[in-house]
Amino acid sequence: MNLTSTDYLNILPLLLVGAGILISLTVEMYSKKSVGFLSWFSFLLHLLVAYYSLYTVNNVSSVFGGMMGTGGTVNIFYFIFNFGAAIVALLSMDYIKKAEIYFGEYYILLQSAVLGMMLMASATDLVMVFIGLELMSICFYVLAGFQRKNVRSNEASLKYFLLGSFTTGFIVYGMALIYGASGSLNIQSIFSMLSAESTPILFYVGTLLFIIGFCFKIAAFPFHMWVPDVYQGAPTSVTAMMSTIGKAAAFSALLLIMLPLIGSKNPQTFTPLFTVLSAASMIFGSIVALAQTDIKRMLAYSSIAHAGYMLIGLAAANDTGASGIVFYLAAYAFMNLGAFGIVSLIEGNGDTEGTIESYAGLSDRNPLLAGLLALFMFTLSGLPPFAGFFGKYYVFIASLEAGNVWIAVLGALSSAISAYFYLRIIVVMYFRKSDVASDNIITESHTSLLGIVISAILVIMMGLTPGSIVRLINSF
Amino acid sequence: MSSFPMLTLLTFLPIIGMVIVMMLPKEKRSLIKITTLVATGLQVVLAGFMWAGFNYSQAGINNPATFQFVERIPWITFDSGSWLGMIKIDYFLGVDGLSAPMVLLTALISFIAAISSWNIERSVKGYFALFLLLDTGMMGTFLALDFFLFYVFWEIMLLPMYFLIGIWGGPRKEYAAIKFFIYTLFGSVFILLVMIGLYLSVNEVTGEGATFHTFNILSMMNPSNYTQDGILSPFNPDNLRFIAFIGLFVGFAIKIPMFPFHTWLPDAHVEAPTPISVILAGVLLKLGAYGIIRFNYSIFPEITRELVWWIALFGMINIIYGAFCAMAQKDFKKLIAYSSVSHMGYVLLGMASLNEVGLGGAVLQMFNHGTITAMLFLLVGVVYDRTHTRGLNDFGGLANNLPVYTGFAIVAFFAAIGLPGLSGFISESFVFLGAFKVESIRLLTIISAAGIVLGAGYMLWTMQRVYLGKLNEKWTDLKDLDFREYTMLVPLAVIVFLLGIFPSIMLDLMNTSINELVNQVTKTDFHSIMSGMK
Amino acid sequence: MSLETILFYFFASICAVTSVLVVVRREPVFSALFLVLNFASLAGIYVTLYAQFIAVVQVIVYAGAIMVLFLFVIMLLRPEKEKSIFSGNPTLQKLSIGVGVLVFFQLIYIIIAGTISSGKSVAAEQRIRTGEVEFIGRELITNYLLPFESIAFLLLAATIGALVISKKKFE
Repeated sequence: MNLTSTDYLNILPLLLVGAGILISLTVEMYSKKSVGFLSWFSFLLHLLVAYYSLYTVNNVSSVFGGMMGTGGTVNIFYFIFNFGAAIVALLSMDYIKKAEIYFGEYYILLQSAVLGMMLMASATDLVMVFIGLELMSICFYVLAGFQRKNVRSNEASLKYFLLGSFTTGFIVYGMALIYGASGSLNIQSIFSMLSAESTPILFYVGTLLFIIGFCFKIAAFPFHMWVPDVYQGAPTSVTAMMSTIGKAAAFSALLLIMLPLIGSKNPQTFTPLFTVLSAASMIFGSIVALAQTDIKRMLAYSSIAHAGYMLIGLAAANDTGASGIVFYLAAYAFMNLGAFGIVSLIEGNGDTEGTIESYAGLSDRNPLLAGLLALFMFTLSGLPPFAGFFGKYYVFIASLEAGNVWIAVLGALSSAISAYFYLRIIVVMYFRKSDVASDNIITESHTSLLGIVISAILVIMMGLTPGSIVRLINSF
Repeated sequence: MSSFPMLTLLTFLPIIGMVIVMMLPKEKRSLIKITTLVATGLQVVLAGFMWAGFNYSQAGINNPATFQFVERIPWITFDSGSWLGMIKIDYFLGVDGLSAPMVLLTALISFIAAISSWNIERSVKGYFALFLLLDTGMMGTFLALDFFLFYVFWEIMLLPMYFLIGIWGGPRKEYAAIKFFIYTLFGSVFILLVMIGLYLSVNEVTGEGATFHTFNILSMMNPSNYTQDGILSPFNPDNLRFIAFIGLFVGFAIKIPMFPFHTWLPDAHVEAPTPISVILAGVLLKLGAYGIIRFNYSIFPEITRELVWWIALFGMINIIYGAFCAMAQKDFKKLIAYSSVSHMGYVLLGMASLNEVGLGGAVLQMFNHGTITAMLFLLVGVVYDRTHTRGLNDFGGLANNLPVYTGFAIVAFFAAIGLPGLSGFISESFVFLGAFKVESIRLLTIISAAGIVLGAGYMLWTMQRVYLGKLNEKWTDLKDLDFREYTMLVPLAVIVFLLGIFPSIMLDLMNTSINELVNQVTKTDFHSIMSGMK
Repeated sequence: MSLETILFYFFASICAVTSVLVVVRREPVFSALFLVLNFASLAGIYVTLYAQFIAVVQVIVYAGAIMVLFLFVIMLLRPEKEKSIFSGNPTLQKLSIGVGVLVFFQLIYIIIAGTISSGKSVAAEQRIRTGEVEFIGRELITNYLLPFESIAFLLLAATIGALVISKKKFE
């Protein structure tokens, strides 16, 4: 294999983030008061990489002897991860002071997690997928348990770690079986081998295990048990990251398996599996979310339901489905980042629960935050003209195109159910009088507010002119 | 077709008002109110101009060439190569004889509701901003000729309504607001799915000969535009057109509201503030019926023909059930809410007739119900402002010290009953005439006619309880109508009289379109295509 | 029966027996020691498969370093509660039996399917060559350069994480 300078130029986003990690590490080592610097450094670094990824989006190529691809959808994923991470950096600045985790390592792990996601999204070889996944997961395990004095945070970290390692086993086992069946780890050669001769059943078992492993990471129904506890226990800024760009990264790995199937003889090989997973996630997530009293748990169950909507796109197994998922992921990332950002401002430090009741009368106490949260709730419930609606619209259109009608009907019904619990937050904020006993003091943070407002603008922009981003996603 | 963007202005004038309201400081309450009044007033003037420029001989319905004031600009268009084919969503507005009466109604009711909102005290700025947004949503829904655009306006309407009931409503506002929202959203997800299904099944050809899927409602009405294998295409032997019809029908029927989806309406009406009740009864309920006529009837004519008996049956149930429920009410607003259910039943019955007389009656009934019920809710609002009670049994003998008010009330009540000479009579008799002509639904029509008697029963009984008899001592010092209340009630009363005596004012406006609609729904042959396939 | 086959059965039977013993022994130290034996016999199987390098790594890393760590942890913690993990949780027991049976049948299937389809056959010299350190090293810094480099970041993140969780002083 001959490496040329273009190989390195093409992975410049990865190199930038990698260099960022090393710089951050050095700065953190030699300076005691580096956290403030590191936060802005992370923000600017990820913003730069996000911009650069979009700038070079047309630069489609395969580098390092087919280890990874660049350009196109990969760069869109880079953009989602890095822009999301930049917003997380903004949200974290004041939050980690309140949560008493004001350490430089927080940002180093944040950058490392993003690097892992980027490796995963660009991989065209199962080895790379695995390394990316592990890099991301290890950072998340640690970040979830960052509040070492908080029992919930410890529990979240341990639970996530144990179940996460377990599923990693599934994924590795799946990869081993795929390798055994096809004799290669490169996605392209795996699938070209399959189209050439009859597919051994071993391949299906391997892919099944692989899919199951990633269903854990995207929080789809039967593999969701960690989600509520981890989302609730982890520091809110970390939850914001895990539930948005972490989920996007896991989906990018699932797309890796699905994209080569599109246009092959049997694109719908895994459609029954994805359909069942999707239906179960949507219904379970929506119904259980109805009963939640804690806002973070509510958002956790809503995250399960949203994983279900995105799986509709995978079940459709066509191009519309693929671009629908990418759009949905971007939309979901920004709306959930915004929602969690607001939650992080409102929740107290220590053990105060983020109950929905404590949002009573928020519209009087802080009309701006209430208005923004209402916006995010509307877009999460999928009302036009916000981004969430177009996401759902895309996956529904994909599934009708594929002739998979009933899953679209089920999705529509479940989104009507889910509107109820999103609206309940608005009801509490706007229609209930403020409770005097409510001791929540809203944190004043200009940086967090900036992050939330950026998310809101993106959500509205993607809703009003979805074309601008879809066009981008679709131009490959 | 004129170059002046009449319909855009009509739709987005309230948004301009909303922006101004948002920029005003919230202490300037009267300035905010005046802005709203000016915006809605200008809207009425524009609607008037539109009426003046309206060509009565052009039908519209399924022919883009005969729609008037058409504006068509690509909104979301991109050619995505191999991935999605070409997506094309147009900003496509137009008006025909079906939507023109509704546009006039919307402008008028919004203006009157704006006057009626004068005594809103709580967070004035938010209220009027949402009010104007609601106005835009309603107007856009009636004018949109692109299904996607329609859907967006339809949902935009939902948000302000939810807040207007939920924040400015009565004691059980939370429950009422969320019930309203969930019911409507439940309906609209079905509409969304059918919309996507139609989009994937309909092709439009551009000037250059390229074909692409389209949301254009008018293209959906022509069988020849359908693709060979679309899931809602008549060419596809396994098509789902029947299910799609039901889904779409349910989506709209919730808004009408048709039995058994009506339960949100009494709650929403009772809790909503008076002006919002007026809009709800005056305009929002019409959207459901309008949707069924515009979409179900024109896009699925062959299934409509199969199901007219069922539509008539539900119309009958609405009429009778609504009337009985109204009779049992002790709350003035709930009574009128149930009378709305009953009156919307006439619209369904008229629609089921599938002939010029019945459908014309149904559309006229939509307009008349809008004005009459708006008037009734305003009248309830007048006494509620003064007494803070709506219990029917708390009143009595109001005619003694509120003679003018009682006069207006008598006009509204008799119009609702359908007294000859008032507008309600014309539309109800048209509905019955039309429906009676049709053999298959004759029995249902005869049973429905009992609704008139029941209606007269509960209306007269209510009048007796509230206005006649001995004056309740509590209310001896009530004042009669003030100037603001005159300005709301007089125009409506004039319309009620005018349309009672000269119904042709409205009938002429919609006549050509109704004929074309009947033609579309009874003649368009989706069936032969299907049977030709088999 | 060739020597190769005899060796395979020898190591495989040790492997199977010790893996059962790891699970059934009540004393954790014994379990750990059987696990060492298990790893060692796995290394033997690797040798019979011409994977010399992997075999050496297996002994050094798993049977050596990791197991020493295990034993230290067991010594320091003396976990008494661990004994009751299954007796206190019958659902877990059933679940683990289920998973075990599933994996067992899958292995049976692979063996049967393997004998039927005969698998991918490669020449013996080739097989021997792929197991050598030189070959693996060459692969790692040519074809697998990128994963190799990326693992550096993985290790870095894991180190930082472990330090944060265990050592970081909270003021």
